[in-house]
Amino acid sequence: MMQASGTHALELVVDGRPRARVGLPAWAVSWLQVAPVAVVLAVLFVAPTVLFLVVSFFDYDRVGMYPAFMLDNYVEVFTTPATLRIYLSSLRFALIVWATTLFLGFSIAQFLVFHVRTARMRMLLFLACAIPFWTSGIIRTIAWIPFLGRNGAFNTMLLDLRIIDTPLEFLLFSDFSVIITYVHLYTLLMIGPIANSLSKIDKALIEAARDAGASRFQTLFWVIIPLARTGIVLGSILVFTQVIGDYFVVKRMSGGQSASIVSALSTEIQAMQFPPASANAVVLVAFVAVLVAGMMRIVDVRKELVS
Amino acid sequence: MDPRYDVELVDVSKRYGATTAVDAISLRIPKASYCCLLGPSGCGKTSTLRMIAGHESISGGDVLIDGRNVTGLPPVKRGTAMMFQSYALFPHLSCVDNVAFSLRMRGVGKAERLRKAREFLDLVQLGAYAERLPAQLSGGQQQRVALARALIIGPQVLLLDEPLSALDPFLRVRVREELKRLQRELGITFIHVTHSQDEAMALADQMVMMEDGHIRQVGTPRDVFERPASSFIARFIGGQNVLTGSAGPIAIRADRCRLEPAGPGGVPASVVAVEYLGTVVRVALKTNSGEEASVMVPDHVYYAAPVEPGSGTRLTWSPDDEHALAA
Amino acid sequence: MDDRRPFTFYLLAGLMALFLLFLYGPMVIIYVLSFQGPDGGVTFPMVGLSTKWFGDILRPGQMADIPASFGRSLLLAALVSVLTVVLSVAAGLGFRRRFPGAGLLFYVAIASLVMPSLLVGFGISLGFQMLGLEQGLFTSALGAQLTWTLPFGLLTMFAVVARFNRSYEEAATDLGANAWQRLRYVTVPILLPGIIGVGIGAFTLSYDEYARTTLTIGSHNTLPLEIYALIASDSTPVLFAIGTVTTVVSFTLIGLTLAVVLRLQRRRSMRMA
Repeated sequence: MMQASGTHALELVVDGRPRARVGLPAWAVSWLQVAPVAVVLAVLFVAPTVLFLVVSFFDYDRVGMYPAFMLDNYVEVFTTPATLRIYLSSLRFALIVWATTLFLGFSIAQFLVFHVRTARMRMLLFLACAIPFWTSGIIRTIAWIPFLGRNGAFNTMLLDLRIIDTPLEFLLFSDFSVIITYVHLYTLLMIGPIANSLSKIDKALIEAARDAGASRFQTLFWVIIPLARTGIVLGSILVFTQVIGDYFVVKRMSGGQSASIVSALSTEIQAMQFPPASANAVVLVAFVAVLVAGMMRIVDVRKELVS
Repeated sequence: MDPRYDVELVDVSKRYGATTAVDAISLRIPKASYCCLLGPSGCGKTSTLRMIAGHESISGGDVLIDGRNVTGLPPVKRGTAMMFQSYALFPHLSCVDNVAFSLRMRGVGKAERLRKAREFLDLVQLGAYAERLPAQLSGGQQQRVALARALIIGPQVLLLDEPLSALDPFLRVRVREELKRLQRELGITFIHVTHSQDEAMALADQMVMMEDGHIRQVGTPRDVFERPASSFIARFIGGQNVLTGSAGPIAIRADRCRLEPAGPGGVPASVVAVEYLGTVVRVALKTNSGEEASVMVPDHVYYAAPVEPGSGTRLTWSPDDEHALAA
Repeated sequence: MDDRRPFTFYLLAGLMALFLLFLYGPMVIIYVLSFQGPDGGVTFPMVGLSTKWFGDILRPGQMADIPASFGRSLLLAALVSVLTVVLSVAAGLGFRRRFPGAGLLFYVAIASLVMPSLLVGFGISLGFQMLGLEQGLFTSALGAQLTWTLPFGLLTMFAVVARFNRSYEEAATDLGANAWQRLRYVTVPILLPGIIGVGIGAFTLSYDEYARTTLTIGSHNTLPLEIYALIASDSTPVLFAIGTVTTVVSFTLIGLTLAVVLRLQRRRSMRMA
């Protein structure tokens, strides 16, 4: 990358001739510019994470916690059957939600980028998808309750249309409602990055594929999807981490049948049992880190985003 | 520090990591001359221009402008002004504000700088467009605003980075004329980077041929065209046949060659293609020894004795028109 | 080029329509139910129509104090927005060059983004408690929200800066601008639409944020937390009234900003040759 010279320099003039300038090299200027963000993240993200890593080894009782180096908390986490159960459950939800949002998100992004003709229409439709996002997630979650309930709008509508005779029970407080809510909340996280990736594809490549005889589906599979992988990976990372890190939706929409990893954690936090909560937290962080790192191996996210 | 020259480059180099883009070049550009840096992509001409401007740091050597050593000085202190290939007009400012920008940076008062800016816009015949935004102007108009913006700081040397590349062919010729006229009127040096030899030959007082980070030949366009220093230059300049003579490579102007019916003497060849170019017909040949050549035949001469692709012929020329090449 | 739409257009258009219905279905429910009659509950059927619940918002009840928490949300969001803009813009400009540690900082930002929100709040809260500091709106909560908005702001700035043509800055240098002048008269004005985008995005993210804020908020709630408390304790259609009002507020705010940004961009967009 070419760098402009003489832009951050002070001039030293000796004997009337300019000498090499005393100035900041380019990388030092960058350091100054990223320093605030770096400091904030270091103090408010890195340090607290290290903190609960340390605390996870502490001893505790009903009164408080005591600095120590014990693996007991971790043993507890790994030997409790509930741990495996909720991790598997969260993973299951995450996979189903991921697949659904990927399908929906990709289709809609594709529609917006390739099939909508005017830029104005595209922006309008994109806004239409984005507006609900501006209402608090909590409210949008509980709005599903009157919709899906036994006396809810959906059942009422189906009954009125005589499609069914008795209200559908499975709609609410079940896995179904949890997944529906997740999809409702997080599809936009797929649409955004994928639409961004798709819009960067040179249209000439698609025309060349069609020219070479590829069908629409073949073009999609062999040309468009590979070129959009950055957006797909980014959207997937966002959706996965939101579902696994979820705190509220599962609790509310499953009617207590399922628990999320984080809500189990929050119970411990509220009971002031910080060391075991920390151990749980570290395990979760490790789990998420492995997932995300795995997904980032598919696409070098850094190279694609920081151009 | 020779005050006969506006710009002097002394052993100037530019290295990017392990790559050397410009390799210890030296050049003297006389006062108030139109200098063209010519060469294929990657030859280092743009890097050289940017080093003179101060937008690129110099890895070695010195740059002198009007006798002063400006190596290491920021652009504003060099007495140069640059016209960028993309014009780089500030999209959020009107034309007059664009032109007045440098004055604003120096702290000149609003009334004064707008007055002066309008003067310069009038100089490039765009006074009526003062309040418009760059996006509302055509490419040619944008370029003139960029020119006005560069000239207002009263530079001693104006640096132009491929200024005609973005224009369509017809506009290119007109703008070419204007640039030359402007340079004469202003009496300053223009350093113009291009990869088009037509442009360079039409404009330059001094033509600098570059290849692979080196300067290969410096001279007037006529010098270079009549007496190219190497086969590379002969091929790049165009209109020349580079052939292997008895004592090494030679160059003969394509329009000084003749086509003769098959017979003794000359170079036997076969016709590859015939292209009608209006005033001349270009006949592309392949000699029997496998070299490529072409002959520019005046149209009336050609149509008196046309040839067909695939037929055999003989390439001849007068020995006076032959020029020995160094390599 | 064929002007007829391929069959895939109708397929995808149909899907889009269904999706929009799916998205707005619950929203419409919220809007409708906010006009629930005074004796009605949080589900159907509607027992008459009234604006009682809207009125209830303004009356600080024993369970929740909506106007106060709303004010706090706005103030915090404004602060978070300003900080995010300043920090993200600076960092975005810094990332244009290669510098040692760029990779590390990038991945830390990504990590901050994908970390389960509650854990972030937990870590900060833990830290504050262990240091004996009191948590509060403009200390711990602000910090927690920044860990969420800064990565978004940074990623947005990457996209914005990538589209920025460096010759503008070189031209400014050529014409005599020093570093500050360049920033003030050229770089920032040209990047302004993107910067506004970052600001609005950060505002919205902060305004709706609850998971990172909930453990770090101290004693006075922001609006999302207040809503959460309401849900847990006493579900009434007030919740839906709040939802309607906040949607209208968000809508107006973002609509206004969009209008400003569009106007800016239309004036400046380069004409295609």
